[in-house]
Amino acid sequence: MPMNLPILPTAIVGSYAMPGWLERLKTDYFARRISRHDLDEIYDAAVKAAIKDQEIAGLDVITDGELRRDNMVDYFAERLPGVQIDRSSKKFYYDFYDSAVMSKLPMASMGLVQDFTFLHTYTDHVAKFCVTGPHCLTKRIRNQFYPSEEAFAMDIARVMNLELKALVKAGATMIQIDEPYYSGFPEDLAWGVNVLNVLVEGVDAKIAVHICYGNRYGKPSWEGSYRYLFPRILKAKVQQLTLEFARRGGEDLDLFKEFNAPFELGLGVIDVKNTDIETPDMVAEHIRKALEVMPAERIHILTDCGCFHLARDVTFAKMKAMVEGTKIVRRELGK
Amino acid sequence: MILKLNHLKVKAAAATQSVIEAVYALVEEGLIDQGQFARLQVELDWIQYKSNFREAVTATQGYNAMGLPAPIMDLHIDTRQVVLETLHDDLLCALHCAEPGVEPDAGRLPLEEFQSLRSSIVWIFNKFFWRHLLAWEAATGKGYDRALPGGSSDGHNPLAIADDVAEFLDLLCSLRAKSQLPAEVNLLEIGVGSGSRCAQWLDLFQQLDQQRGTGLYRRVCFYMGDFSQDTLNKAKPNVAKHIEQCRFIQLDAINPIKSLTHLRHRILQVHLTNVYDNLPDEEVVRRDGKLYFVQVRAYVPQKAVSSIGGKYGIPPELFRDRVYHMLETGFDDFGGPAHGVPFWQELWAAVRLEERLVQLEDLPEFPFPEGLDAGKLEDILQDAPTDFRFHLSSGALESFIRTLPLLHPSGYLQVFDIFVTDMAQYRTGFFGPGKLDGSLLNWVNGALLKEVAQREGYNVNFRPFKYRANTHTSILYTTRRE
Repeated sequence: MPMNLPILPTAIVGSYAMPGWLERLKTDYFARRISRHDLDEIYDAAVKAAIKDQEIAGLDVITDGELRRDNMVDYFAERLPGVQIDRSSKKFYYDFYDSAVMSKLPMASMGLVQDFTFLHTYTDHVAKFCVTGPHCLTKRIRNQFYPSEEAFAMDIARVMNLELKALVKAGATMIQIDEPYYSGFPEDLAWGVNVLNVLVEGVDAKIAVHICYGNRYGKPSWEGSYRYLFPRILKAKVQQLTLEFARRGGEDLDLFKEFNAPFELGLGVIDVKNTDIETPDMVAEHIRKALEVMPAERIHILTDCGCFHLARDVTFAKMKAMVEGTKIVRRELGK
Repeated sequence: MILKLNHLKVKAAAATQSVIEAVYALVEEGLIDQGQFARLQVELDWIQYKSNFREAVTATQGYNAMGLPAPIMDLHIDTRQVVLETLHDDLLCALHCAEPGVEPDAGRLPLEEFQSLRSSIVWIFNKFFWRHLLAWEAATGKGYDRALPGGSSDGHNPLAIADDVAEFLDLLCSLRAKSQLPAEVNLLEIGVGSGSRCAQWLDLFQQLDQQRGTGLYRRVCFYMGDFSQDTLNKAKPNVAKHIEQCRFIQLDAINPIKSLTHLRHRILQVHLTNVYDNLPDEEVVRRDGKLYFVQVRAYVPQKAVSSIGGKYGIPPELFRDRVYHMLETGFDDFGGPAHGVPFWQELWAAVRLEERLVQLEDLPEFPFPEGLDAGKLEDILQDAPTDFRFHLSSGALESFIRTLPLLHPSGYLQVFDIFVTDMAQYRTGFFGPGKLDGSLLNWVNGALLKEVAQREGYNVNFRPFKYRANTHTSILYTTRRE
């Protein structure tokens, strides 16, 4: 998977700032004031703008900003074959649908390739496609069929594995799996890593796993230490762990050294739960701290989590600070 | 004409017939024309505050955004204070004062131009009261608490505190069981008064912690926040026993996060008692599918200007300047509080607000308080009455929005105050502004807070304040929204 990336490549974790006007239009769609066709055209325009913003800010890896998604669950719940959705169950677009699985999930396409292809078409940068992981989905989709959460998650992984392979076939070289609920349910990691490995089995792309402490409504859902990940996470057949450090501080960086973790580090250097704009120097300082435990060749520079809840101007300014801060360190490294 | 009886009181009902007769007489006499009569809305209120900002009869004219008269006119009659014998003349006078283009007649000394209630001079009076509270209390011979319904703050209620402490300790234990208990257990009280609630709370927490053997007392950091350093200094001795656990922070109740940014997502409980009801507010009227903003102008009736001015040697032409000077500098013009405070008290009792309604034609550009915008307001009003007047609770809303980011993922906000919990409730009575001693008092639009909170990731819940009979106080508390 050769990727033409500079050292310390920069990216956002996944979502870009959700504009207020798009929120209103999404809600208008639920109120049947605009058609699906119009909404899709609006999405296309919004995603193009998000891509352009990332490029102008100077990011090296580009996402579609996840602007087509109402939240991190429903986009997938709607596409997972066999999941039943009560479409009357939400009033505001960001709410979760009441969704349930009543029978075994059939193996079928989820149709994610179309959205990746759109991203790929509109940027010549390396494109990253993000998917919500099976563990997270089992926490929001009611299980009325499988004997355990683990069994349910395992079947989601099997269905999504096909989808990830289809994404690779369509040109995806970097895929990020989002599993924020690990932090709320650390005991699940005992089986969560096995599920993760089924999900990525045979997927020929760089796989990153993003694990944060939640970002629902732009607020953390839990607090604690990443220590709970170790040593179980070491068995994960992924290339990169993407973790939040800007908001929480860098204490847990030492875990990578302590456990000799083989992964790349997706280093969160931008706090997405705070509208204050970081300075490039602050970003550079975060990176220097990470360089104490890991070589630059294994570090990607990222936001702590998605920028969904930040205003667009704030997001853009934070991305610029991230890029400038990274350049400072690259210069220090002579790269 | 539409007649609305907003409160069920015998006296209010009794006034209804007289009001109809008086209005009819004005029509007969040609003093109200058919057009005026058709657009008249008469609201009969029972204003529970003995001291408030209204004449017994007032009229409010509507205007469009260009400043031209709009075809709406409200008459407000306070059925508690109205004198039926003079109703005819009072109605005539009120209608005359509200007529477009009529300059303030000789009967009123305006203290300002028409503007938002939030920026009115009455809030400067309110600040002045808190700054000179001791002088006011010395003059009246009783503490501010005595003016509250029940004669003391609900925040100090020992049973309420005991229940709260027990629930809070349960929360800490559940977090510890999940290995999610932070090293520091942070609490914040905004508006600390004498420090009595904090002292009682920590006493009870310490006792319960010992009883249960949980060993959590030493982890507690109780932040006491108040805009007045004097108040914090006075509260300190009352919490001396727990001084290791207490932190004293000067902060603006409307923007707590500004002073506490280092505690973002780290506070497990924020408590306020009777703070929101004393923060600057604005009102909006919904009528015939349109929204009107209530503009106010504070004035002093000329009769009061003469009598108060005569008593304190202030000529009418200097009266307004003297009022502003007192609010800026204190009582030096009066040789100190001994003479200054009585002037202030008489002046405050005389201050009134006249109103006009200005149509909100460009809603998206309206300077809404933080947390609210045109889209959200329209969503909120979807299920609200079509014809009513409501508070924006601007200060309370901003305080609320700027407090939520302080909450730990398992933290909650708890507010003891007087809340309107459903928009429809606004049609059932008068909810302020009123006067409480030298301060202002408004009910808080809890229904609006509830809707706004949902977009911020919180559910707002209300439960009755069960610790005192016949109280209007209720308890707002937040829970996280999934």
